[in-house]
Amino acid sequence: MTVGPAMRKIFLPAILPVFGAGMLLLPVMSFAANAGQKIEKHFTVKGRPVVMIQNVADGRIEVKSWKNSEVVVTASQPSDKVGLDMEQADDRIDVIANILDTSAPQAELSENIQLTVPEQTELQIKTQTGLIYVEQVTGDMKLESIAGDVHLKEVSGYIIVHTTGGSFVCTQCSGKLDFNTISGSAQILQPSLKNVNLITTTGNILFDGDFIRTGIYTMKSGRGLVEVRFSGTDSFDLNAQTSSGTVDNRAEAFLKPDTHGLRRSASKYAKGLFGTVGNGLAKVELSSFSGTVRILKRD
Amino acid sequence: MQCRDVAQAIERDGFAPLPEAARGHVAGCAACSSLLADFESIVAAATQLPSEVEPPSRVWVALRAQLEAEKIIREPQSAVPAEKTSRWWHSFGQLIRGRVLAVSAIAIGMVFAAGYFQMTRREPLTAAVGTTPIATTSQPVAAEPVAAEPFAAAALSLDQEEQSLAPVQTVSTGGVANASPVDNSLRENLTTLNAFIKECRKRLQEDPNDQVARDYLAAAYQQKAEILAAMMERGRSVN
Repeated sequence: MTVGPAMRKIFLPAILPVFGAGMLLLPVMSFAANAGQKIEKHFTVKGRPVVMIQNVADGRIEVKSWKNSEVVVTASQPSDKVGLDMEQADDRIDVIANILDTSAPQAELSENIQLTVPEQTELQIKTQTGLIYVEQVTGDMKLESIAGDVHLKEVSGYIIVHTTGGSFVCTQCSGKLDFNTISGSAQILQPSLKNVNLITTTGNILFDGDFIRTGIYTMKSGRGLVEVRFSGTDSFDLNAQTSSGTVDNRAEAFLKPDTHGLRRSASKYAKGLFGTVGNGLAKVELSSFSGTVRILKRD
Repeated sequence: MQCRDVAQAIERDGFAPLPEAARGHVAGCAACSSLLADFESIVAAATQLPSEVEPPSRVWVALRAQLEAEKIIREPQSAVPAEKTSRWWHSFGQLIRGRVLAVSAIAIGMVFAAGYFQMTRREPLTAAVGTTPIATTSQPVAAEPVAAEPFAAAALSLDQEEQSLAPVQTVSTGGVANASPVDNSLRENLTTLNAFIKECRKRLQEDPNDQVARDYLAAAYQQKAEILAAMMERGRSVN
């Protein structure tokens, strides 16, 4: 099959500029590839691996799972000012990113790390800034960041997240959750968590989901808003308190007197709200020092 | 010589060699010979034990820092000759580490204090009478014993740590202007925490028995200890 003169007349003018631009950009792309380094390592594991990442540099850390018994670490960095050490001891894998040249510009001191791990993997990640993103991993995890945000999706296990200023979003998480921050906020969306402990000094807290029976939920914000959206089928005892803030009860129709035979009163020096939703099977404790505690039923 | 005299002789001089009079008594006294035999077995067993393991220096650093934080001991003055001081006090890096441990120790102390307070405090509980579920605020009815400034010792230690941290931070970051976003974040959050601590303390001055304020103050001090430790750690890793 041959291309007719008419077709050539149509296509050539369109292709030539693109081709020309590509030729011009080729050296630039090549330079970029040389300047940025990419490392990939594969570690075969037997059981549930434990992966520890310590990133003294800045950068994003992304963890996803697959069905293979193998941990793949892919790291990319814009310069050679950051060193990356990786070692394996049986099912434990350590990844450490260190700054080699402290006088280098901030933009060159970053290390983006991408992990692909078996679904059942224990994680311990410590970083400075940049997002920590974990998806579909089942295993205990401790994630620490100073200024970076932490996003979790469909993770399960005992989850510990500590940030200084980073915020936290947990979507469809299950197990136990412990979050502590100074100025970060927390959003817990569609959870199946049985034990929750959220503490922020100035950030906000949003819990939008079901309370599992016999679960214990504690949410505290010093100055921010603590908002809980529950469903009509939930069953929990509520204790909401504030020192100098406000308690915004938008669920009066659902909040009944305590059915467990005890009536509690607020601390003498605080504003409090006590009551039961359903049979009061879970325990929910909300507080804010000077912010607002809001409770409402989800639409 | 009596049994009591033998015991005193052992206590005073040790049991080997015993004075002749004591040996004579032991030879004819079943109780004393049994006691002596027990001592000898203990000594024999002790010699079989492995030699004492020298604890790592960080244990001493942490211990000393904790004792200093609690004002049980004071830091040695410069009159002590340099050779006689422990070598880990000379290294600046080691000093930093000691401070990190001190801050960590304070944090642990705070956790225990908060836990203890949580366990010992009693919320008013009354029998249900089928009344309204909403228990709202009431003003103080009866004054409870007013405690002294809460967590004063920890606050003082943390303030001292914060002051001593300033030069380290400046060195590690090359000055505030050149500080990285992470250092800035740490500093901003420390400022935020200090303001919040001030707020809680003010509230507690107004209402010393405000349990919510007290809980938040305890938590804020814990966070301050952690952030100071993070700043120290960061200063150390960057230097």
